[in-house]
Amino acid sequence: MLQFLIDTLLRATDLALIAFGLSLVYGLVKFPNIAHVQYAMLGAYLTFGLGAAGVPLPLALLLAALLVGALTLVLQRLVFQRLLKSGPAIAMIGSLAIAMLLVALLQGSAGTFPRMFELPLKAPILLGDARITHTQLYFFATTLVLLAAFTVALFHTRLGRAMRALAGNPALANASGLHAARITLMVTFASGSIAGLGGGLLALSTGAHINLGHDLLLPVFAAAILGGLGNPMGAVAGALLIAFTETLVTNLNFGWLVGREMAFLPVSYISGAAFLILLLALLFKPYGLFDREVRRV
Amino acid sequence: MPFKFRSMLISTSMFFTLATAAPFASAADAVQMGAVLSLTGANATVGEDVRRAVKLAEDKVNADGGVLGKPFQVLVEDSGGNPTTAINAARKLVSVDKVPVVIGEYSSGISIPMGQYLVKEGVVHINIASTSVKIRDLGSSSFNLIGLEDKGNKFSSQDAWDLGFRNVAVLAPNNAYGQGVAHGFRAEFEKLGGRIVNETLYTAGQSTYRRELQQIARSKPDAYIYTAYGQESAVINREALELGLREQPWYAILLSMSLSDTPANIAQGQLGMEVGSFVGPTGKAYADAFAAKYKEGMKTSYTGYAYDAVLMAAKAIEKAGNTEPAAVQAALKELGKGYDGVTGTVAFDDGRQRLDPPYAKLKYDGGKVVPR
Repeated sequence: MLQFLIDTLLRATDLALIAFGLSLVYGLVKFPNIAHVQYAMLGAYLTFGLGAAGVPLPLALLLAALLVGALTLVLQRLVFQRLLKSGPAIAMIGSLAIAMLLVALLQGSAGTFPRMFELPLKAPILLGDARITHTQLYFFATTLVLLAAFTVALFHTRLGRAMRALAGNPALANASGLHAARITLMVTFASGSIAGLGGGLLALSTGAHINLGHDLLLPVFAAAILGGLGNPMGAVAGALLIAFTETLVTNLNFGWLVGREMAFLPVSYISGAAFLILLLALLFKPYGLFDREVRRV
Repeated sequence: MPFKFRSMLISTSMFFTLATAAPFASAADAVQMGAVLSLTGANATVGEDVRRAVKLAEDKVNADGGVLGKPFQVLVEDSGGNPTTAINAARKLVSVDKVPVVIGEYSSGISIPMGQYLVKEGVVHINIASTSVKIRDLGSSSFNLIGLEDKGNKFSSQDAWDLGFRNVAVLAPNNAYGQGVAHGFRAEFEKLGGRIVNETLYTAGQSTYRRELQQIARSKPDAYIYTAYGQESAVINREALELGLREQPWYAILLSMSLSDTPANIAQGQLGMEVGSFVGPTGKAYADAFAAKYKEGMKTSYTGYAYDAVLMAAKAIEKAGNTEPAAVQAALKELGKGYDGVTGTVAFDDGRQRLDPPYAKLKYDGGKVVPR
């Protein structure tokens, strides 16, 4: 039971930061940025590179996050702002192109071999029957702290209020004197950094590898959509739900169904399960689970 | 002007013909055979190791006086790690160099199409590393020196049984190789009376296998029988350690391959098996000669088979008295009634497959793979 809880929380942690960043910036730019998950991959490789160059790990994570944030800013200014003039669909296709470019660039320079971090091998922490490694605990704790910090920033600072106002009603916010363009750029930088940080932390367990972004694409978007695009806290809740579904489906013993003592759903089917949940949720709540808006008739 | 140009053209083309004919002229004075190896690509480490054995064998033959009174040459070509390049290399060896024997490759997916091509051309093919059971059906001019999967599975299941395992979990990659190993092991192990409590074919290339390992652990096996490619195997072994699954024994089929990228502290204590690297006093002498020439031991277990293949081919050509593929094939068949190789006694059955190929019981201890 405890292991189930730990597995759910760990999987949610994998997705949470990146989904949070995605939802945060979607509210402002209003197009699904497919390259967002590749920012996580980039963050993973940069963290590894900095770590290999001798930078202590927490500093490497921070620096990598800032670098990815800067790149996100550059891409937003140079590419997405122009593409958005032609509409969100064009911008999304452009983001797909950027995603493929990022993967190809990294594959060309870093190769396809996964880069594992050289972390000290310590025995996992035993909590009754359940186990959690030090790295996983570090990842979870860091994510929790960061999410708490960002939530506070979003709801209790002037800047956070300005971001939420801009996401809700850009024209009115602009008219009220909020500098829309500057805030958008700041949010873009923040979301890119968060994604890069999420990727770097994820790479501590799985290593920096080319498919890191690609593997995250569908679950992260599913989490963000479940929570309602534009609702960052909802995205975290969405990540929890996706993690719960995946863990449940792989742990359930279907032996009674097939007449054997033990039978499990092959792990390759778990994304199917997560998407079934997404489909069902959208059928009943098309704007996400936490939709409270009144829609005009 | 045109006349002068034409004469210049004639003289330059004559020059080039003579220049290129010169090395061919000297090549015709040597007896040649071919080898197609993975010098580049995913298996380059194996390819280079085998190339060293091939060179060592070539030097030995020449030190013993060559073949048919002439110097002996093994023409090594790169397969590039893919079947297309391998077949092109074989085609060059057959049509341009006109060799009677070609040995190679490593991956079954390459050896099979290449072997089929060579048999079609009537050229002798010797398989030195691939283990798919389909190797048996390549054709009448294809010989096999290494134990195929079915013999390997028999050996590993008997070894697992002898180690006291009765209810085991099997983990293998979800491809032709993994499926062959998993199903073959199950068939042999159940014949001995054992039980497979869980069989999992994992998808290659994932960055985590926690869920698969947790599912397997629920069936509470005595031991985990697994085979995995180096990269994924490192992830599997680390996560197995983190999940506490290493409290049961882990037995690897093809131990060196499975542990090639796993850090020593995680790999410590694993058991396993592999194709025999070298056997007996002849084998020992070969290992010493290898270490002396290259200043380090062999990195994989496949070198001995290549060494035996080259020496047997040279002997067959000598016995045949000429380099006609059909004559060499007949001579090799005769030789294959009992030849003292570095991988043990080489004897072929009626299908030109190796009888009693060597296997080794191994374990990982102190940073390397050692015999048990």
